[in-house]
Amino acid sequence: MKHLERADIHTISTHGNLTEAGVERLLKENVYNNKTAWQSFLRLFFVALGVGFMAAGIVFFFAYNWASLHKFAKIGLILALMVTTVGLVLFLKSNINIRNTMLTGAAVLVGVLFAVFGQVYQTGANAYDFFLAWTIFITLWVVVSDFAPLWLLYLILINTTLYLYAEQVATDWPETMVFGLQFVINTSVLIALIWLGKHRKLVQAPPWFISVVTLACATFATLAICIGIFAKYAAIFPIIVCVTAIVYALGIGYALKLKSGFFLSVVAFSLIVMVSAVLVEISDGESMLLLVSLFIIASVTLVIRTLMGLQKKWKNAGS
Amino acid sequence: MKSRAQIEAMLNYVQTVENNALQFDEEAILRAYETDEDNQSLGIKVLSVFGGILASLAFCGFFFVSGLYDSTGALLMFGVLLIGGAIVLATQIKKVIIDTLSVSSFIIGLLLFGFGLAKLELDENTLTLVFMAIGVGTLSITRNYILCFVSVLVINGSFLTLIISNDKYDVIHFYISLLTVVTAYFFLNESKIIAAGKAPAKLYSPVRIGLIFSLLSALFIVGKKGIFPLLPHLIWLSSISAVGAIIFLLPKILDVLEITSKKHRISIAVFSLVALSTTALCPAISGAMLIVLLSFFTNYKTGLAIGIIAFIYFVSQYYYDLSFTLLTKSILMFSTGILLAGFYLLTYKKLMSNEKV
Repeated sequence: MKHLERADIHTISTHGNLTEAGVERLLKENVYNNKTAWQSFLRLFFVALGVGFMAAGIVFFFAYNWASLHKFAKIGLILALMVTTVGLVLFLKSNINIRNTMLTGAAVLVGVLFAVFGQVYQTGANAYDFFLAWTIFITLWVVVSDFAPLWLLYLILINTTLYLYAEQVATDWPETMVFGLQFVINTSVLIALIWLGKHRKLVQAPPWFISVVTLACATFATLAICIGIFAKYAAIFPIIVCVTAIVYALGIGYALKLKSGFFLSVVAFSLIVMVSAVLVEISDGESMLLLVSLFIIASVTLVIRTLMGLQKKWKNAGS
Repeated sequence: MKSRAQIEAMLNYVQTVENNALQFDEEAILRAYETDEDNQSLGIKVLSVFGGILASLAFCGFFFVSGLYDSTGALLMFGVLLIGGAIVLATQIKKVIIDTLSVSSFIIGLLLFGFGLAKLELDENTLTLVFMAIGVGTLSITRNYILCFVSVLVINGSFLTLIISNDKYDVIHFYISLLTVVTAYFFLNESKIIAAGKAPAKLYSPVRIGLIFSLLSALFIVGKKGIFPLLPHLIWLSSISAVGAIIFLLPKILDVLEITSKKHRISIAVFSLVALSTTALCPAISGAMLIVLLSFFTNYKTGLAIGIIAFIYFVSQYYYDLSFTLLTKSILMFSTGILLAGFYLLTYKKLMSNEKV
């Protein structure tokens, strides 16, 4: 049975007179890995390496012969792979996570299929309609599967489609608007997921997924507002500021209710970056950079202090 | 945070492990848990580091724009002030919130001091040695986690700079061997270092992760062709220390696995040696393998994750750089895969043996 953790052993040893042999025994019994752990590790290691190398070998083989394959063979090959994968998902009676992972693999294969199509018929790389088609065609699987990594893939695709569309077609949209739009879309997904999770119990988004989407939302909001600050001409800028303010206020309220430090840290850091951008923009003098530097240090320190105080309060209230 | 009762339970357990009667400073232990500085949530640590980096960038911007760059005296003075200030802050006030200030102050101080020294047009070696001295000095004075980590990286960087500026590129093999031995010693002698005193115990964690990063960066330089103009037929020199360390670690691992028959032990050792010697031309692979094994042996999860990522990266890099045709590479990889899968099936029974009991 493990009584201690490594940090405990370090602390106790620092304030006591344990001998080296004693510490060694403590570490061996409580921290270091035992036989069963080593056996699982070695098993996993060999299997993963073996399968990985074999798969890589097969991929390399196809890469070598790719140029000389007939175009029907190329597309047919990927189609066959996709059909096999989906067939396995439907008919294999194994763990739901394995099947969902295979479905995610099939979703990636859809993209590969369209990419090969684009390569064979020379439709041009990075065309936004490639990503759009990919997104549309896996929508059904995403809705049906209830699997967070697949949702993540879907969100990444939606964002990429939007970004490429703005870059290739709607070139007159100001950059602020593009990032603002991405912020709005990602935030809507986030709010929808949280709301559905609490009130309808339809879908339960795992915490890591919510964290990743929150980070993405905050990044887009920060980018949108910082670019808007430096660009100064976008008419849409005030709207974005208002939307961001509302969303951040909601976010803080939600974080306080949920007693989660993560949302608060993200919002705080984003706000600090935005205010720094404003400060840099207001004056072009060198002394302003010094001020910005001091401001960042002071604000981060303040935020950390507040967060730690809140954490203590929550711990005491809970325990 | 731990309650007094929990701490007493822990101390009672510890007493059962030792033969002599032990004394503990219970008040100090209680206080250590209350301040609990190293157990802050990851969010706060990351915020602290990012804040430090942003602040440093802004300050550097200020420095360049304002023209203070031109005054050597100001550079040196500010540099020393900031480095000294960082160390003093971190040593006197042991709070996490001071970490941001102290880290940014330290890094900015190093940069300024470096620029100042460069302007004095000292010999490059002297400059590097001064930096190394600052690193060692910081290590010996402060107990702050992040400052110690940065100091270890500074020392490592100084060594690499010495190698580069003197154009003695092949010395890196000797340096990597040294780093490998030190890292392996550090991992395997945790108890000796922790029991040696308060200072070594506090320095252990940051130095350990600093050593891992230093070793990986040195291996990266050797692993990626074209960064250093190395003599190709000497590359295997770096592999010797890593392979040697793995073979040294092997008996300890076999002890944990309770494989005691001499025949088995020798055959495993020979097989490992043969398998590792195939990677001799890429010391990065055996180095990463060593980090993975060491981290798993001592159950150091961060090191394990870093080691695995490095291992995958170095193997991919190696195969990418091979100048065979894709067909040859594919056959190579497939056969390696079959070999490994075969090894797995062979040892499957052995590795599952305990579960039935």
